[in-house]
Amino acid sequence: MIKEMREDRANAEKNVREAFEKAQALQDKLNAVVTFADIDAQLAALPEDGLLRGVPIALKDLVSTKGLRTTAESNILWNYIPVFDAHIVDKLRDAGAVVIAKTNMDELAMGGTNLSAYSGPTHNPYDLTRMTGGSSGGSAALVAAGAVPMAIGSDTGDSVRKPAAFCGIVGVKPTYGRISRYGILPYASSLDHVGYFTRSIEDACVTLQVLAGRDDRDMTSSFLEVPDYLKELDSDMHGRKIAVLGNVVKNLKNPATIKVFNDLMDALRERGAQVDMYDFDEDLMKAILPAYYLIANCEATSNHSNLDGIRFGNVVKGETMEELMKNTRTNGFGPLIKKRFVIGSYGLFEENQERLFRKAQKVRRKVVAAMKECLKEYDAIMAPASDNPAPHLDDSSADELSANYLIVENYMAMGNFSGYPSMTVPMGFDGDMPLGLNMTCRPFEETTMFDFGKAIEEITGYKDMKAEVK
Amino acid sequence: MEERKDAAYFKKLAEQLMFRLTDEEAEWIKKEFDTLMDQLHLLDAVDTEDTEEMIWPFEDETTFMREDTVTHVISQDDALANVTTKIEGHFALPKVVMKDD
Repeated sequence: MIKEMREDRANAEKNVREAFEKAQALQDKLNAVVTFADIDAQLAALPEDGLLRGVPIALKDLVSTKGLRTTAESNILWNYIPVFDAHIVDKLRDAGAVVIAKTNMDELAMGGTNLSAYSGPTHNPYDLTRMTGGSSGGSAALVAAGAVPMAIGSDTGDSVRKPAAFCGIVGVKPTYGRISRYGILPYASSLDHVGYFTRSIEDACVTLQVLAGRDDRDMTSSFLEVPDYLKELDSDMHGRKIAVLGNVVKNLKNPATIKVFNDLMDALRERGAQVDMYDFDEDLMKAILPAYYLIANCEATSNHSNLDGIRFGNVVKGETMEELMKNTRTNGFGPLIKKRFVIGSYGLFEENQERLFRKAQKVRRKVVAAMKECLKEYDAIMAPASDNPAPHLDDSSADELSANYLIVENYMAMGNFSGYPSMTVPMGFDGDMPLGLNMTCRPFEETTMFDFGKAIEEITGYKDMKAEVK
Repeated sequence: MEERKDAAYFKKLAEQLMFRLTDEEAEWIKKEFDTLMDQLHLLDAVDTEDTEEMIWPFEDETTFMREDTVTHVISQDDALANVTTKIEGHFALPKVVMKDD
């Protein structure tokens, strides 16, 4: 899609305007957008060339955009207008992309449903009664509905990869350090990644080509050279080795997911790949969610202590500075955010740090060591991204202590623990709803990840798949 | 592992974090906390004896002392652009001493 749009130079403006109008027309149904951008100024300033020239895109509403409201779907930032652009915004504009909208998300990216957004949830383009998943739900919805070919998200636990699965699109979380996070509102700094959505593997290659590279303003940014991802794309599966995550597969309950996944693994075998079941320690897998929850919330509590309404944000006045801050934060945060801050603070108490926060960080190291061991022998770890398709908006049926919930629905945070590249691709359908497959590869081996993604795309035929929004 | 907490405990904790909880929010957090405590027990099943904490995904240094040159400057007007109450180039806070002056 991106290549066709880029090469359609004569219709660049028409393509952007059509995308803008489509996103506007879908807004009543999807609620995917927080703020629409001014496209005229951007069209007037289009560069002569660029990998994304004339391509309409959307940004999750935690990407700082100079002069364009950036709320992170929190009331406390509802009037916040950044005075600088995020590094990736500079890169996208230099490449010729046109930002048409800032998209809906879970408040401060802290959620996996998109239900906690201040402006209300985004609706799944395949079924408006279902959720998109989160936290990058608005970006996923716009790509799945065909409004834009690419949209930016962020991924701290699975916030790109889970919505990609629920919306039937490609969701990429590259290696930690591959894309600069300068100008991205943080959630948990040791786990946060910039990610993105596309509807094809080729578009995923081009997008990473644009976004990747060193930025001195992000201290975790990598110096490693950026390969030509599209040029290196190779879907030949001979000699490739896949570890199927046994802990996930044996805890699946949905027959449709089991069948679609097993059929796909058989198809990869037929194309020459070696596919083996690989079990991690079950206790370690069950510890991923609580370890993630502690690390993420402890870091978030600290990161968001600057949201006080004094230098920016939606202030509520008070007689004293303390009262002003309390009024602002009480009014500014939703209940879910308050809960997470309370738990994060509890984990950071001196008396709890060793047995909770530090314990979680040690568990993190053990999870990553197990992944490293697996990837010494195998080129990718694969499993379904979720047992079921997107839940309904009012679904609260999850048993939060079951292996199905702890492992199957939450294992993808291992990609954030490790920083290894991880991607979800569409693998099939359960009725009318899409199902996704997740894969994780060795650090900075996005080329390998895209190779697997391309092979799967060729098997399934799910390239440039769009939802018909009813 | 941990003793169960009551709603008042969470209200007090929230005050330290500079926000308030309603009775309803505090009760909800109490219930959620009980489930969380059950999940946190799962950490104990992992032997982390002799395991170091993992703080960042990669432990290679990518920071360095940069050249002492001015880059990416914003103006004072920009710095104060999102401030609600500002006086003579500063952001202003409620006065807490000699309030009647």
